[in-house]
Amino acid sequence: MPDFTLISAPPLAGYDRSFGDIQLIAPTDLAIVSIALPLGGEDAAKKAIKTAFGIALPEVGMSNVAKDKTSSIMRLAVDQAFVLFPSATPDAEPQIAAKLKGAAYTTDQTDGWCALQISGPGARRALERICPVDLHPNAFAVNAVARTVMEHMGAIVARTGEDTFLLLSASSSAKSFLHAVEVSAQNAT
Amino acid sequence: MIIDHPLLGPRDAAEFIYLGDAALIDRPDWQDEDAADKFYEYGYLRDNIAGKMQELWYHEQGDRSWLVVTRDTLTHEITDVEMARNVARARGRSK
Repeated sequence: MPDFTLISAPPLAGYDRSFGDIQLIAPTDLAIVSIALPLGGEDAAKKAIKTAFGIALPEVGMSNVAKDKTSSIMRLAVDQAFVLFPSATPDAEPQIAAKLKGAAYTTDQTDGWCALQISGPGARRALERICPVDLHPNAFAVNAVARTVMEHMGAIVARTGEDTFLLLSASSSAKSFLHAVEVSAQNAT
Repeated sequence: MIIDHPLLGPRDAAEFIYLGDAALIDRPDWQDEDAADKFYEYGYLRDNIAGKMQELWYHEQGDRSWLVVTRDTLTHEITDVEMARNVARARGRSK
């Protein structure tokens, strides 16, 4: 055995900063598991999701909180969704796989992404400079989700509250993504 | 340029990658008598259309779907956007 151990640390965990009326927080222990609907088995998979989470698979571009409020499902494409839930242990995928009982393909995405929550009355003002998707309240409802690109980095933006957005981007470029959002927040104050 | 994705709504063209003529959907049958000629045409020959053209676009920075976009090559006006999987199935593809 080597006399050292590796400690897993999410790239932005613990980050918490305010810029005027904009709050920027990195959620801790956010686990992400993708669900892919099997070709030809879509209906069975949707039924399994309904049974496992107590809610129907949301429409493409929407998300929803599970009935027991412990997780939320984002529908990102016709045959793909992400489940987000708090979990500090590295067993996110088996947890979801057990719930779906083999009706859909599940893949652990936790280590691939970094998360940032931006909130406050100025959140939209900061995002509109870097996000090409229209985030106006009339165009982007609460629970809406969009996979897009910000400052050349692929990103998912989800409206989780009236003035609250969850941003996901690649963990490998987490600090560049944080810098992009920070600079935009600074410019918007 | 804005592409009005049938499921996701209007999206900036920067999210997409262009492939080319949507005729690529019509892959020849490899068991045909003249399969070699057909694959030569499929691989190398393209119509050079001045006007409305059906093109394949890939939503790489989005939901990763393939789209068939009807675009006027003279004006860049986009008149129709469909999911490529629906177009392929309508043309007889099974999957």
